Amino acid sequence: MNIALAQIAPKLGDVEANVALHLEVLEKARKKRAGLVVFPELGLTGYTLKDLTEEVALDPARDPNFQRIVAATKGLSAVVGFVEESPADRGLFFNAAAFIADGRLAHVHRKVYLPTNGLFEEAKFFAPGRELRAFEAPFGRAGLLICRDFLHYGASYVHYASGADMIVCISAAPGRGVEGGEAFATSRMWELMGEAMSLFSTAFVVYVNRVGSEDGVTFAGGSFVYAPGGRLVAKAAYVDPDLLFCPVDIAAVREARRTWLFKRDEKPEAIWRSLERIVRVPED
Amino acid sequence: MFPKINAAFVEKILVGFIRDELGRCGCKQGLLGLSGGLDSAVCAALAARALGPKNVLGLIMPYGKAFPKDVRDAVSLARRLGIRHETIDIAPQIDAYFAAYPTEDRVRRGNKMARERMSILYDRSAAEGAFVLGTSNKTELLIGYGTIYGDMACAVNPMGDLYKTQVRALAAHLHVPPAILKKAPTAGLWPGQTDEGEIGLSYEEIDAILYARIEGRRTRKEIVAAGHRPAAVDLVLRKIKSSEFKRHLPPIAKLSPRSVGHDFLYPYDWGR
Repeated sequence: MNIALAQIAPKLGDVEANVALHLEVLEKARKKRAGLVVFPELGLTGYTLKDLTEEVALDPARDPNFQRIVAATKGLSAVVGFVEESPADRGLFFNAAAFIADGRLAHVHRKVYLPTNGLFEEAKFFAPGRELRAFEAPFGRAGLLICRDFLHYGASYVHYASGADMIVCISAAPGRGVEGGEAFATSRMWELMGEAMSLFSTAFVVYVNRVGSEDGVTFAGGSFVYAPGGRLVAKAAYVDPDLLFCPVDIAAVREARRTWLFKRDEKPEAIWRSLERIVRVPED
Repeated sequence: MFPKINAAFVEKILVGFIRDELGRCGCKQGLLGLSGGLDSAVCAALAARALGPKNVLGLIMPYGKAFPKDVRDAVSLARRLGIRHETIDIAPQIDAYFAAYPTEDRVRRGNKMARERMSILYDRSAAEGAFVLGTSNKTELLIGYGTIYGDMACAVNPMGDLYKTQVRALAAHLHVPPAILKKAPTAGLWPGQTDEGEIGLSYEEIDAILYARIEGRRTRKEIVAAGHRPAAVDLVLRKIKSSEFKRHLPPIAKLSPRSVGHDFLYPYDWGR
């Protein structure tokens, strides 16, 4: 399967323009026979939304703009970042990632960990997601994460424990630190996390970050794919827009799990019992 | 539609604000530009109550003889409040500049005058050890009806959360003279100019739309459904959006892990 890393620069607050950009990229990806196109976090809206959050929120099952994207995924899959307001949770806004497969909305992940410190204000405007759930994608089992979710290792563990072949993390990570090299210092952190997680989980790790700038903050780009076992197979440009195609063979998961037996020997029940004790009796 | 403010209570809060903000810096003096209009009259009245009339300096800064009635109103207000006042004609420096770089553009000329007044206020601020008090109200701030780094520049702004129509209510409570209270609001950019004439809407209409949008968080559709003219609603919403830059410090390009304006976050009153 060919994965397209859609490292775009969305236009802040302009859903119409971003839908057009997504459709354009989907068309290019289709021509290159991509099986999966991954867009960044809040790709349909831009990141620094503040009070714009509620104005750009949409219900993916009904919104006509979103339906245009769904319709454009005939024959392929896409991960799309947006602000979700669903009829079941009126007045609550979620930083969400949709998995769309062959013209059908297959899964929505709501960002669980909302960074709210320093330059981040997400919990001021978003409600937190409360669940991590892997699902069946056309190419295998997949789990979605959004940016900061990936830095909480329990989140990846849940996907791993539920059998994910691929962990897809979409991101709007600002670059910080210019003391060395041709990338922001923070890009190295994401790569290290991706490499480590592909080893821990013997799964593919796909990370797509956005580019462009908003209110003085530059998004770092540097999207990547690690194959199971810490093998870097694709790396997009730093800072600049990119549309990178990366062939992946899901059979590599089987190979990795025969070689390193972490998955076979994993004991989620032991973890579960220990976690239950910790959560119930925090002062144990 | 517009809930009435309790003017006595608002006065108490704003007087306390001026006293606290200046007091924190060990500053007893305030100064402001007096235009002869409503906003600066209210600000001067609040400052006189907060700091004592003798600690307030009102600078009247006309362009030549263009607005004689406004100058008279400003002088009479200053006398009535018992604050110190001074008149400085800005025509020499404005004329000198535009003699070298002529323009008929009234907005450019008006903005240049607003920034000249700012420049004088800040110079006098240093000379007198006095803080510049801002007179921009919430309506102006929201629709961007002010000159950036001109009349919008100040050390503290006591009135920035009062809509124009609320400033009027506060003015009546503070016994601002009828000559000022009843005058058509003007930025004084050119003779005969009025805010409402230039914007094309009355302050009552602007404030009602702003209130629905800002306080009520109503959408465009809901505001129109409530009986406002679509063209008026669109104009106000467009002005809010296009003037956002006037309500921020300029963006700083973030490079380091901790940047001014991004994640180096201390309260304004820190260390004062």
